[in-house]
Parts: sequence; C-alpha cells; structure tokens
Amino acid sequence: MSAPTYQETIAALERYWADYGCVVMQPYHTEVAAGTMNPATFLRCLGPQPWKTAYVEPSIRPLDGRYGENPFRFQHYFQYQVVLKPAPENVLDVYFGSLEAIGIDLRKHDVRLVEDDWEQPTLGAWGLGWEVWCDGMEITQWTYFQQLGGLELDLIPAEMTYGLERLTMFLQGKRTAFDLEWAPGVTWGDVYRESERQWSVYNFEKAPVDVLTRHFNEHEEECRLLIGERLPLPAYDQVLKCSHTFNLLDARGALSATERAAYIGRVRNLARSVAQLYVEMETDGDAAL
Amino acid sequence: MATLLFEIGCEELPAWACREAEVQLPGLCERELGRRPDELLLGPRRLAFLVRDLPERSPDEWVKGPPEHMRQQAADGFARKQGVAVADLEVREGFLGITRPGRPLAEVLPDRLDAIVQSLTFSKSMVWEAGGLRFARPVRWRLAKLDAADIAGDGASYGHRFTHGRVEAPEAEAYAETLRAAGVEPNQAVRRAAIVAGLDAIGGWSDPVGVLEEVVFLVESPVVLAGRFDERFLQLPRRVVETAMQSHQRYFPLEGGRFAFVANGGDPETVIAGNEQVLEGRLEDASFTFERDVAKGIEQLAEESGRITFVAGAGTFADKAARLLALVEALGGGEASLEAARLAKADQAAELVREFPELEGHIGAEYARLAGFPEGVCAAIDEQYLPEVAGGPLPSTEPGRVLAAAEKVDNLTVAFALGERPSGSRDPYGLRRAAIGLCRLALEAGLELDVSALVERDRALLVEQGAEVREDPADVADFVLERLEGLLDVPVEFLRAARAGATTELGAVARLAETLAREATSDSFERAYVAYDRSNRLAGRADGAAAALDPKLATEEAEVALIDALGAASPRIEAAVQARDFESALAAAAELGPPVDRFFDEVLVMAEDESIRANRLRLLLEVRDAVGALGDLSQIPR
Repeated sequence: MSAPTYQETIAALERYWADYGCVVMQPYHTEVAAGTMNPATFLRCLGPQPWKTAYVEPSIRPLDGRYGENPFRFQHYFQYQVVLKPAPENVLDVYFGSLEAIGIDLRKHDVRLVEDDWEQPTLGAWGLGWEVWCDGMEITQWTYFQQLGGLELDLIPAEMTYGLERLTMFLQGKRTAFDLEWAPGVTWGDVYRESERQWSVYNFEKAPVDVLTRHFNEHEEECRLLIGERLPLPAYDQVLKCSHTFNLLDARGALSATERAAYIGRVRNLARSVAQLYVEMETDGDAAL
Repeated sequence: MATLLFEIGCEELPAWACREAEVQLPGLCERELGRRPDELLLGPRRLAFLVRDLPERSPDEWVKGPPEHMRQQAADGFARKQGVAVADLEVREGFLGITRPGRPLAEVLPDRLDAIVQSLTFSKSMVWEAGGLRFARPVRWRLAKLDAADIAGDGASYGHRFTHGRVEAPEAEAYAETLRAAGVEPNQAVRRAAIVAGLDAIGGWSDPVGVLEEVVFLVESPVVLAGRFDERFLQLPRRVVETAMQSHQRYFPLEGGRFAFVANGGDPETVIAGNEQVLEGRLEDASFTFERDVAKGIEQLAEESGRITFVAGAGTFADKAARLLALVEALGGGEASLEAARLAKADQAAELVREFPELEGHIGAEYARLAGFPEGVCAAIDEQYLPEVAGGPLPSTEPGRVLAAAEKVDNLTVAFALGERPSGSRDPYGLRRAAIGLCRLALEAGLELDVSALVERDRALLVEQGAEVREDPADVADFVLERLEGLLDVPVEFLRAARAGATTELGAVARLAETLAREATSDSFERAYVAYDRSNRLAGRADGAAAALDPKLATEEAEVALIDALGAASPRIEAAVQARDFESALAAAAELGPPVDRFFDEVLVMAEDESIRANRLRLLLEVRDAVGALGDLSQIPR
C-alpha cells in the first residue's frame, strides 16, 4: 500500500477525532499564528464547560517566510489542532491511537515524549507538555494548558497540535514539504510554492508600515469598545487582528526591541480583558455560544 | 521484617524532574517510614524505591498524660479523651499515660506513601485536574507492594509503552525483573551503563554539549544505534552541526558524517532511516541559512548589524562594535584585536545566529575565516564571550583576552548607565559573571585593566553616540573590585584598604592587597600603620589645615625631622607604588613611623598660634596621604 496523500492524512485525522466525539470545526476566518489562537481553543478552554474539538488551522507567521527558496521554512503552513477539555485520564493512549489511525506502527517506530513547555506571551498563556518525536521527527506539540489570558483554568485541557507537513513528510518519506504529495499527482509545492514567494515579498518588503501601525491602533481601540459593549467574541477577533498586524510590522523590521515588547504587552492586555469578560459571561450564563 | 516497593507511575517526566526526585526521596522516605530506601529506581515513566527490613508493625507509642500527683483532678479527663478506663492508665517517670500499641505496617502505609507523593516538589510543576495534586507531569498510577501484598493501587504496573501493557509483580523484590521482562530497565545506573557500553561499541563518540545524563532519562529501553548524513554538510561550522545533533536531537557526534543516538525501541533499520532523514533535514535547513549569510559576507553583515538594536537606549550592534574598537585601543590591543572588535558583532545580523543563538561569536569567527581574515582575528571573535560561566576557561589568545575584556566593560557600563544595576538575586544580564571575568583576566591572564578609566571612556562614547545615559556608571569600577573579594585568598579588610590606594588597575589592587596581608605582622607594616593612623586620627578630623605646607613655619626639632623624613620618603613611596613594588613602598612608608611617634611625643599640634597649628595639620595630612598611596590602612583591624 502506498503512503497516504496529504489530504488523506487530514481526512484520517478528521475521522478518528470525529469518532472519538470531537466537534470537527473548520479553520478560523482571520489570520492566526497557531491553532491555539482560534477561539475554538483559546476561548472554549476558559470557563467551566467541557469541550472537545478538532480542526485544521493555517498557521500564518510572516517572519518565517523564505520566498519559497528554503523547503523547510514557510510563512503559511498547516496544523491539525485537537483539544480535549478536560483531559481524560487515558488522554495519551487516545492520542497514540490517532497515530495508529494514520498508519504509524507504534512498535516499529521509536515514538517518544520529550519535555517541551509552551508559552505564548501575547495571549498570557502557558502550559507544560512535550514534543512528540517519531524516529527523531517532531510530529506533535502536546500541552496541558495551565493558564490562558492570565487566568487559571476550571478544567485542564490537553492540546495536541500536529505539524501536518512534518507528519506527512514522515509518513511519505519525503525530504521536504515541497515534495509532499497533496493529492495524487499534485505536490504541496505545486499548491503553495508561488504563494510563499509572493507573500514573502509582501511581508518583508511591501506591507505598508504606516498603514499597519494605524490599523493596530484602530483594532486595539475597537477591541476596547467591544469589551465595553460586553461582546467578547467580536472583541477577540480584534485581538487576533492586532496580533497579526504586529507580526507583519515585526517582519517588516519596523520594531525595535523595546517597541516589540510594548506591542506584545498591548496584545496581552487585550487578550486578558477579553478572557475575563468571556469567563464572567460564561459563569453568569448570559453568553449563549 | 518486610520489603516495600513503591512506584509512582507518571506520564513522561523530564530528566531534571527525575533528578529532583532522586534528591528528595531518601529524606521523605526516612521521614515517613523511618528508613532510607535501599534502591531508587527512576525513569521517565516511574519514580520507584525499594526499602528492605521494615518492621511489620509501627513502634508502640507512649502517650504522656498529666503528672501522677494530679491523678485526682486530671486522670478522669485524660482517660476519657484517650478512650480508655482510668484503671488502664500506666505510670512512667512520674506521669500518667497509656501505651498505644503499634499498628500493622500495611495499615499505616497508604497514608505515609501518600504523604511522600504530596511532599515531592519540583522547580516547575503542573496540575492535570484543577485544584488537584501538583507534580512535574501527571501521575497515572501507584503501585505499593509489601512483600506480596498490594497496599495501594490495583497491583498493576506498566511495561514499555508500546510493546508491553499492564504487568503485575508477584512481590516487592520481583519488581525490577518483572519490568525487565516487560521491556523496561527501571534502574537509571544500569541504563546509563548500557548506553555508554553501546556508544563505546560503536566507538569514536563524543558529547560536547553534554546530553548523556538527559538521555538516560529519555528512554526506558535503551537501544544505541548509529546513522549517517551526507558529508557535504561538514562544510557547515562544526559546532552548528554538533548543536543540531545534540541540542535539537540529543545525538552523539561520531567522526565524519556519522552520529549515534539512543532509541527507546522500534525496528532499528526503520528508526535509523527516520533519524537520518530528520538530521539531514535540519542540516539542509541550516545550510540554506548558512549559504545566505556567506553570500552576504561578514563585511555586509557588520553593516547590517547597524540596523539591529543591542539594548534599547544604547544603540545598535554597530554602535557597540565602535565602542569595543575604542576600548580595545585604550587597552593597547594590537592589530588583530582591533580588527576583531570591528567585526565582533557582525554575526548578530546573521540568520544562522538567529537559529543557533548559543553560537554567537563562534559563527562570526567562522564567517571571518571564510572571508580570509588572519586566525588571530577569528579566534578573538570566537572567544569574546569567555568565560561563559564564572569559573570557565578564559580566552586562549591575546587578542581574544583584550576583546573579551572590552566586551565585558561595555556590557557593565551600558547596564549601569541605563540604571540596570544587578540587585539581590536579580542579574538578568549576567553582570556579576562579567565582572568576575574581568577580575580573572587581570589576575590570571595579566591583562592591565584600569576599569575606572575604561568605563569613563565608554561613557563618553555612549554620550557621543546619543545613547540614553540615565545614570553615571562610574560605580562599575567598585562593582568589579568587589568581585575580587571572592577570588583572592585575602581577608576582605586588606582588599578594602587596597582599593582606597593610589592604584586603580585591577591586578595591581589585587597585588597590593596581597602584599598588605602578607606583611600585616611585620615591623615595617606596623610602623607604616602608625604613621598613617596617628596622623589620620588627628588631622583627618580637624578643621583648619593650611592649604600648603610651609617648612619655614616649623619651630620644633621633631617637626623639622618629620618634614625631612616626609620629603625623603614621599617620592620613594610614590615611585614604588607606580612601579607596583609594594614591598619597597611599604618599607619607605615605614620610615615615617618613628618620626611621627616622636612628633606626637614632642610637639603640640594644636598650638595657640593659628598659622603654626594650620601648618602642623597640613604636615600630618601630607604624611597620611603619602602613606595612603598604599591604601586606607585604617580599614585593617589591629
């Protein structure tokens, strides 16, 4: 049997986690640097309600682009995100089951959990966990969240973030992501290489610094207004827009070390306020999500 | 007597957590069970210990009650409280009481073992159920066997995660062999020996970053394997290849394009192929980055470092390089160190340094080499951050030592100028280590370091460059000199005395302190001390000294004699201190001792005539200052 294509691997993960009982979601509609920032993870992990979800998320990181020249670095790639809140006692076994479901023979390979703690300062979030190695390849970032938006959590979720390119490189035995077979006869490179080139030009050379600077301020302002209106969900989108705008400014080399820290602090404050409002409304029961 | 086995079953613990448990478990075990464990068995999925010869009952306990003479008033209440009849009370050493018989070990163990689990603490811990136990990683099972009996849990342990599931040990002593049969080596020393033996069998292995101790705790079923990578990657800087192997993958470099690693199972051929592909991917990624940097070349990188902030408020890395150049010049550095200073921060603009931040300096040196710079220049760039830890090796080349000193002076000056002095345990910029590095460069490498002058020069440069100098960094010199206290085998008073002397150069202050300490019981020290101390005690506190000494105002013979002695000794002290011949300086200063004594015996300093009095006070101040070139001797306890 030949190795599964990129899209078949995604389909197998969707099937496995749907069967487990997850709500299978779709990617979020605004740019995020990681699946964690999707409200289906960040907001749903707050408050007292149990939640299980799985979804593909494009990870947008302007600074990591290399004009499509380096087949290991991209400004746009994909994660498969799974959240189980609260983490069941057999959560690791359930996770390892997903590896078997996509065709990894756990006895034939060397699968290991290597300490890797996670922190996302712009979201005031941290957790402890591992990177999962399969024959030395990091295929998943695995985290027990401890705080989000600076808040302690009512239920401790487990977050499993599969790096879809690395995982399928491993499954297909391919050296680079460009060589991955996305669908029969079509490679990942066919689909995204030119996109990497054009977006790298935009991110590093063309993105208008003055406009972005203004946008950041506007998104921040709008976020505060929406918090005042007790609308944490739209407010959170403004946090995401601030975060992405900051990433673009950073890629443009427009920020000094002090400015970077200040921007990160501003995003973190917004994330914290939204998280507090969200929890408050969840707990009062006046938010119907 | 019974044997106890206790196992705390965990999700994969970090290596440091296993080591922290290793330190705590013996004490906790002693506290809760009265005995230290005979064996500790620690690995990523289990913290276990075995205690032999445990008494099967806990010892009887004497519960002391009221004194016997209070029997009338208090016996009843005490007996009721203890749930016994008054008739059952015993008397020991004049007190009523009862003997509470010991309980079977099996009964007390669950609480005691739980206390051990609850008491383990980790430098970083987590919860996996809100409000639940804090531990380094989730605890998923507990196994406690007292000989063949199960005390806690359901008697199950778990073997290798993927090849063996649940296992049961028939008795405590059979724990290790049960696990071995289930693909787990529970003993860390055995695992370590197996790994080293495996590496030795392959041969030619190295561990420059030091990952062996971590690897011992990354596997339960160690299998040592070797792989290859394309030799074209050997064109990368060696330490880049090593770091990719070691820090990222925990591999052990072998010679040529080969590496060894330790797997936790799997089919060897499959596992080797996978790891080879991963390493090649990492090296290829590093090659892309390396080639982009090399295409730019070190000169262009140096230019681009002018766009990267060193520290907010203190300019860019190009600004820093300009300051280093001036400091190296002030230190009398030669051609190679000047060139190295100019290029020292170029690699801050290199992409490869962003990927491998721990290799800053080293990567710059490689790029300088590729650009054809002389080896002395490259070595100095490489060595600028040494010593990496306070006691670590110093730069091995002269240009490296000079550049390393300039680098440290600038880091200290910038931090102090920005108001970021270290306080208490807060020292985010490693300034204490930098200061110790400077001291060691002076003491061990003989570098001439006049810290005050260097800091002043650096401060002036910062101002010229438009940096935000918020505070005067002059106290850097004291901060550095204070570090000498921990490095010299001299009581601190001598160092404090020497720091007040005429010499400010770091190595000279150290030698002066050593001379004073060595001579502290000699006659010449005693006489110099007397001269300093008597003149300082009187004139140092009195007002009204004349602006300058006028020998013509001397009226007494002893006074004239002291002026003559001062005239003879003073230039000799000064010259000897200048030449750092502190013994001769001390000998010259000692000559002032007797004339000072005679002066105090025969002359009334506080003469009625104001001008004579003022002149005598000036004379004493001059004596004090002449001897004071050797330091503030009053700091030294007599």
